[in-house]
Order: sequence, then structure tokens, then C-alpha cells
Amino acid sequence: MASFEQHMHPKPTTFISKYIISYDHKVIGKQFLWYGILGLGIGGMMALLIRWTLAFPGEAFPILGHFLFPETNGVVPPDVYAMLFTMHGTIMIFYAITPILIGAFGNFCIPLMIGARDMVFPTLNMLSFHFAVLSFVLLLAGLFTPLGAAAGGWTSYPTLSTLVGSPGIGQTLWTLAIFVLGVSSTMGAINYITTIIVLRAPGMGYFDMPLTVWGLWLTAILNAIFLPVLGAGCLLLIFDRTFGTQFFLAGAAATNGVGDPVLFQHVFWIFGHPEVYILILPAWGMVSDFLSFFARKPAFGAKATALAMTSITILSTLVYGHHMFTTQMSPLLTQSFMTLTMTISIPSAIFFANWLGTIWKGSIRFTSPMLFSLGVVFVFGLGGLTGLYLGTVTTDIYLHDTYFVVGHFHYTMAASVLLGGFAAIYFWMPKMFGVMMNETWAKIHFWGTMLGLNIVFFGMMLVGYAGMHRRLYNPFVYEFLEKTIPINTWITWGALIMGASQIIFVISFIYAVFFEKEKAGDNPWEVGTLEWTIPSPAPHYNFDKIPVVKCGPHELGNPSLTGDRDFQYQTEELVQA
Amino acid sequence: MSFLLTPAVAKTGDQFTLWQRFLPPEDISENGHLIDWLFNYTTTLNVFFFILVCAGLFGFSFLYHRKRHPKPYYTYGNKKVHVMIATVIGVAVFLGVDLNITRISNNDFMNVFAKWPGEDEDIVRVEVLAQQWMWNYRYAGRDGVFNTDDDVVTTNDLRVPTGKKIVFQIISKDVIHSHFLPNARRKVDAIPGRLTRMWVKLKKTGVYDVACAEMCGTFHYRMQAKMTVYTPEEYQAWLEEAERLALETNDTEVADNYWGWKWNK
Amino acid sequence: MSNEFTADTLNGTIKEQYVSNISMIVTLVSFTMLFATMFLGYALYRLTSETWPPMGMESVSLGLPILSTVIIALSSISFCMYERSYAKSDAQSSWLWATSAFGTLFLVSQLMLWSSLQASGLYASSGIFGSIIYAFTWVHSAHILMGLGALAWLGLRIKRKKAILMTVKNVGKFWHFLGIVWLIMFITIFAI
Repeated sequence: MASFEQHMHPKPTTFISKYIISYDHKVIGKQFLWYGILGLGIGGMMALLIRWTLAFPGEAFPILGHFLFPETNGVVPPDVYAMLFTMHGTIMIFYAITPILIGAFGNFCIPLMIGARDMVFPTLNMLSFHFAVLSFVLLLAGLFTPLGAAAGGWTSYPTLSTLVGSPGIGQTLWTLAIFVLGVSSTMGAINYITTIIVLRAPGMGYFDMPLTVWGLWLTAILNAIFLPVLGAGCLLLIFDRTFGTQFFLAGAAATNGVGDPVLFQHVFWIFGHPEVYILILPAWGMVSDFLSFFARKPAFGAKATALAMTSITILSTLVYGHHMFTTQMSPLLTQSFMTLTMTISIPSAIFFANWLGTIWKGSIRFTSPMLFSLGVVFVFGLGGLTGLYLGTVTTDIYLHDTYFVVGHFHYTMAASVLLGGFAAIYFWMPKMFGVMMNETWAKIHFWGTMLGLNIVFFGMMLVGYAGMHRRLYNPFVYEFLEKTIPINTWITWGALIMGASQIIFVISFIYAVFFEKEKAGDNPWEVGTLEWTIPSPAPHYNFDKIPVVKCGPHELGNPSLTGDRDFQYQTEELVQA
Repeated sequence: MSFLLTPAVAKTGDQFTLWQRFLPPEDISENGHLIDWLFNYTTTLNVFFFILVCAGLFGFSFLYHRKRHPKPYYTYGNKKVHVMIATVIGVAVFLGVDLNITRISNNDFMNVFAKWPGEDEDIVRVEVLAQQWMWNYRYAGRDGVFNTDDDVVTTNDLRVPTGKKIVFQIISKDVIHSHFLPNARRKVDAIPGRLTRMWVKLKKTGVYDVACAEMCGTFHYRMQAKMTVYTPEEYQAWLEEAERLALETNDTEVADNYWGWKWNK
Repeated sequence: MSNEFTADTLNGTIKEQYVSNISMIVTLVSFTMLFATMFLGYALYRLTSETWPPMGMESVSLGLPILSTVIIALSSISFCMYERSYAKSDAQSSWLWATSAFGTLFLVSQLMLWSSLQASGLYASSGIFGSIIYAFTWVHSAHILMGLGALAWLGLRIKRKKAILMTVKNVGKFWHFLGIVWLIMFITIFAI
């Protein structure tokens, strides 16, 4: 697929055209990165407030508490607690992980890694970011409305999210914000899909694409198909809230011709289960690449990995019912969803075999991106295996809506995706900003994060198995949960460790971006994908001359390489062994 | 470091060992052990496979550190033996773990948890109305028909006997709730506009918690009921007393008291 | 820019057509999912309800919906004629004007439908039956508005001689898509 004539915008000169209304995919990527880190900060602070309340119920939150909640002497009140976990979930999923993995690295990496000068639709790309900002503003505006922000959980099940359960404007704003974000992400998805199909450099077949691009591509496909499903659900919810329709309202008695709250759950999870893979697929792709890059050998079974990702994409659309076992679907549906869910383990097992195969007999360099990638393998192993308890219906009857679920999805969605995102930030930092981040602090950041997150999320699974259910302001009103008080306290200490490690990251990141003097080389990691053939940071319109791809992305350690390089650029003819 | 272990609030003076803190609440139902057993069985399999992953992860990281192993082995993993090993792992996990536990879970589900008592069986029928933020329970009373003047109606107070199947029919008045009996390992959602069902058979007397497991608003955490499990004789005594009181005290003027429905077979 | 990059113009145009074709298909998939979700919900309500329309509701009289169907069909036909004339490089903008006029007329017919429904006592808040009719027509009309915007944008592009055949075809795809959605709505919601 040769490139076609892309419209070239002139190099921007003013601050506004360079950083605010930029058409450049690299700048939009950076915008999304800052946006995502901001979201991560806000969501993380909310997590600490939540953890504090669970570990020390009735005690004032230190330092900030008296400013935030003067009327309760610094104690988080129950209604605010509900807003906190709702906003924590929403922000972390839609405004932190999505922008970092998909917004930032999707925009930044796709054109660079496939040898294009920009996305096919730069204007659409820019609009996508501006819609995302609008959406975040709408969401946060909810916090300042009289009745406060949305407080129905990030799933916002009706009828709690209709006027019956939350009369405030905050819930309407939440729904609107998610709808606008859906529009933004769909725009991005259309752009990614088309770019990858038409703008691959000459000679680059689909299996010559780096696995990162595979992950981002499949994510975009899932986004384009399933975000409108959530969009429709949000629209109907908005109609219910503002125009008095009755899609999700039902009376106490089962009567005819009224709405059905469970329909929203169907719609939400038809989107929601693919969403899990929307978040994790880019991380999988990146990890598969990084393990190969830093083990200095080709990705083990790269084709199989790509095909496993594709099959997981397809399977993810068929299993959503396992989120709704307790709504008592017909037994036949329950059985089919349980069995389908289990088939997901086949591609997952292939991933693990391939990841471990990649580092087997390698020559591993333990740089910060590699550490984070190995961390992903570890935490995703835990997260994936604990999913089995929730996929089998009988254990799910007990564990559904307990902290076991919370621990499980934090392992898969938060821990793995976050570690993958950090690996990506450390890895592409030189190409994004032209500098390297400090390796020592990166390693401290890694071990701190690993320690903290394992205490937090493993602890959550333990209290969940002990029966503690979700979204409780004070779990210890239940006698059978009193014995979990110490575990909850440890989890909170773990959360503080994890939070403190992120401060290291933020300082290190800001220092590198604004104050680091030492410029990074063109190819500091010594890998052969296309973005490393151009200067760091990537220049305006990336490639002076569109490269011609002659081999796959993982030609590392090829024994017939001459010279002192142990890798091969994708632009070089494959040396015959 | 003693503050790490200091309970923030404690109502019961019970002492627990660390191990006991990790265990689920005491199982008082006749079938809860099926769930516990499957959980432990899955855990065993999971631990085995996770140790395999960790062995690979840490073992390879140690063995193939660039200092110890400077020259990587160039392979795309498409040799026959590589593909076979990957396939064997995939199939082993799928057959050994997934289909195995799916089969067990499916058997338990179809033969026990989703097997509703027949019409002629002697069961205890309870109608449950969930609302923000309390549980209302309704027993049919002397005439055995629901939603009549002699119904026994309680709030946040469930009383049931051991040794008999107890069938709940559950509905919600406002938002979605979830009727959770942690000691019986069972929960089911209470949804406005549609009936859901749950049955349990208990074997141990005592007072236990009933919780709401689905977010239902600000005071979700306060939506708590107590379940008193009696021996059959004690239950009969309580029921007779309650039925007598019900006839005397039920206010037949208030329409809201008639929230029950015809028992749905 | 280097010479290798600037492919010859003919080739470039072909590629550009290819690009906008792919992206339009992806966009339509997204829109299809939006409407498909709503139809899924409708199907569930309808299948779980014992009678349809639900007790106490009367079916909507078919007069105005049939009028809307005729209007939207005419607009689709006129756009087809425009496409054909454009492909023969003999663009007759009167067909484009006709499409826009029929589109606007369609919106007017929807307004009439809403006011007649309200006159007969069916509101958005009167149970699931009213909710479905109003919500579906609202969402569809919002898309018709977007379609009219696309038509205006196309007119401007053509005036400035920036449009290519694929632009015309893509706007057409969107417009016909809305026609098809209306047809499905007409059949499933109003007719049966």
C-alpha cells in the first residue's frame, strides 16, 4: 500500500497553533498524554479518599479533609463517598487509561510505526481531542452542582441513575459526558482504522506491523463497533432523565407496557465487556513488542500473538452475560455465557506461552520499559486466573459484587494497563520529547508501584472472598466483616505506597520534559522499528522520505547480521541466514 | 507497628487468627459447600498454573540476563516443537482448568442452585420487597395466600427454620438491590418490575446478616437485615405467635401495606 | 517535500477515493450499531409485552408516517439522480436542491407527526409505547439534521470545485442510510 498525497499543513509557529489547535498527530498524542496524567492524578486522589474511609471510618481525612468537608469535620460523608467511587471509576477508565493508551500512544505511535507522515484525517483527530476535553469538563462540572456529581457507580444502572434514584443534574452531566466521549473516541477509532489500512509504508504487510499497532488497530475496531452501543444507552438514559420517557423505569409490580431497567445492563455490558479488551489490547501489543526488543530476540510466535488478539477481539463480543448472572437470566443463557467465557482462556494461554517463549534464551536487558512489561505479565497472570472464579456461575453467585470482583478487574484493567502505559511512556519518551527519563528513579517507581498495587489488589481479593461487598461506605456495620478491618487497613497502606510511587513518576516526568538538558540519541533502545530510523524528537511530518519496509519489526539477534549491531532496521533487506 | 493491627471500630470482642480473617463467613446452608469446594478446587489449579508462569518469568529473567547469556537464540518460535509446546499449553489450560470447572459448576448450577422445589414439596415461602434502604419480608399467614389481611410482614427481620427449603420471591420498589446471604453463599438481584427467585436450605441456627450487594444509593451500606435461623419447632412457635399478632395489628386501611403479590409458581 | 512523496495526481485521487470510502464504511458501521442497539431494545420490549401496543394505547394512524416515507424516498431518488449526473461530469445542482428540500419537508412531516400524536394524547412520558415512538423519531430527525448539514457542506465543496466523486457518493451513502433506517422504523414501529 503506497502512500497517497497527504495534505500537509505548514509548520505551526504560534503557541496556539502549535499546542492548542494542532493538526500534528504527535502533538495531539502529547495533549492526550497530559490529559490522561491529569485524569490519573484526580482519579488517584479520589482512590486515596475512598481507601481512607474504608480503613478508618469516621476519622477525618488528614490535611485536606477539613478543606473539602468542613461541615463534617473532615470526615468523608456517605453521599460524597458514593460520588467518589463513581467518579474514580469513570475517570480512571474513560479519562485516564483510555487517553493514555489509546489517545496518546495510538495517535503518537500509529503513524510513526507504520511509516506515515500523519493520520489520514488530521482535522478529525484534532476534533477528537477537543471533544474529549469538552467531555471531561462536563464530567467535572457535575462536582460543583447543588446535589453533587453522579453517584450511581461507574456502571450507572437504572433505576438508580434515573430520576428515581438520582434527581441531581450531576447524573445528567455524567451521561452527557460519556456520550460526548463516545463521539470523540469513535472519531479517533475511524481515523486509526483507516490510517492503518491505507497509510502503511510500501512493503508493510499486516504481519509486518509491530504488535503495538495490531493492538491499537483491534482496539479501534472494537471502539468503532461498540461505543455507539453505549452511546445509544446513554441517549435513552438522557431522554429518561430530561424528557420523561420511560425506557428504564418500572413499577414495583410486574405490569405491561413499562420500561425495563435490565435492558440498560444488557446494553452497558454489550459495550462494557469489549471495553475491557479495548483497554488491555494496546497494552498487550506493547508488551509483546517490548519483551522482544529487550530480550534481543524476535517475538515468539508473533503471528500467533496477532491472531490470538484477533480471536479475543471476536470472543469478547460474545461473553458479556457473565456480568449479569445475578439478574437471573434463563439457565440456558447462563450456561452458554459461562462456556463462551471460558473459551477466552485459549488465546490468553497462547499469550503467556508466547511471552515466556520470547524471553526464553534471550539476552535480557532490564531497562525500565522491560521491567514494566515483565510486571504486566505477572499482574495479568493473577488478574486473568482470578477471572475463572467469576466466569463459573456458582462461584460468581457468591463473589458477584464483592471486593473479589474489584480486585480482579483492578488487576486486569488497572494494574496491567497502567504498567503497560508506564512502559510505553518510558519507552517512547525519547521519541516524544527528545530526552530520556532517569533510569534509577524509573526502577524505584516500578518496585514501589508493584509492591503497592499487589498489596492493594490482592488485599481486595482477600476481603472479597471474606464476603465484603462493594461500594460500602462503612463495611463494618456488618458483623461478619469486622474481622476484615486489619486487612482493609493494610490495603490502605498499600495504596499510600502506590500513590507515593506515582509522585516519583510525576516529578521524574516533569523534570525530563522541561528541565533535562541531555538530548537522547536517535535510537537509544537499539531497536529496528520505523520510528527509530528518524531523529529524536520526531520532526515535523516525521519521515523526510517515506520508508520502504523490507522485513518484520522484530529482527533482533539475527545471526547473519554483519557489523556490531545486533538488530536490523525494518528498512533493510533481511540478511539471509 | 502495632497500629497496623488496631481495629478502627469493633463491636464484637472476637479474636481472630490471621488465617481466619481471610476465610469467608461460616457456611450455614446445606449446599454452600459446593461453592466453597469449587472455589478451593479452582484455587489449586490456579496456583499450579501461576507457579508455572512465575517459574518461567523469574527463571528466564535470571537465566537469560544479558550478563549470563550474552548471545540470544534467534527464533520466531515457528519450529514444529515450539508450536506443539504452545498448543499443548493452550489445550491443557482449556481442558484441564476451564472445561473442568465449567462442567462442575454447570452440574452444581443445574442440579442444585437452579433446581426449584416442586409444587408439592413442603417449603417456606417468603416474599421480599426491597426498597431504599430496607428489606420487607412477607409470609402468607394462616390462609396460605399472599397479600391478604393475615400476612405476617416484617422489616429487616427475616426468620426462617432449618431443614426446610426456603423460597424467596424478590422484587424491588425503586432501584436495583441485591439480596445477599453471605452465610449461605447466595445472592440474587432485586429488580423493579421483574420477579427473581432464590432458594436456600439452612442447617445451623443463629442470627446472621442479610446484606444488599448492589449499589442502591447513599445509604446502601445501611441496607442490612438480620436473619434469625430457628429450629423447626421454634420457628413454628414464632410463626403462630406472629400470625396471631398480625391479625390483631395489621392496619387494613392503608393500601401501602398490600405490596405483596400472588405467589408466582 | 521530496519528489518521491508527491505521487502523480491521478493516482493520488484514486487513493483518496479509496480512503474516504473505507472511512465512510467504518462510520456507517458505527451509526448502524447505534440504531441497532435501539432496535434491540425495542424488540425486547415488544417481545416481552403481551399485547402491542400495550394496554390502553392505540396504534398510531399511518397517514403521516406514510407521507414521511414517501418524502424520504423521493429525497433518496433525487440524490441518486444527482449522483448519476455528477458521475457523467454533468452535475445538475437542481437535484441537490431537491434532495435538501425533501429532507426539510421530511422534518416538517415529523413535526406534524409529533403534534398530531400529542393532540391524540400520546406523550413521551406515556409508557414505553410513547417513549419508543418519540425517542426513535427524535434520534432519527437529529441525524437528518446532520444529513442536511452534510448536504450543505457538499454544496459548498462543489461550488469551490473541491469535491471528488467519492465525496458525493459518501454523502449519498449517509443519506440513503438514513432512508433505510426510516424504512425499518416505519415497518417495525408504525406498520406492524
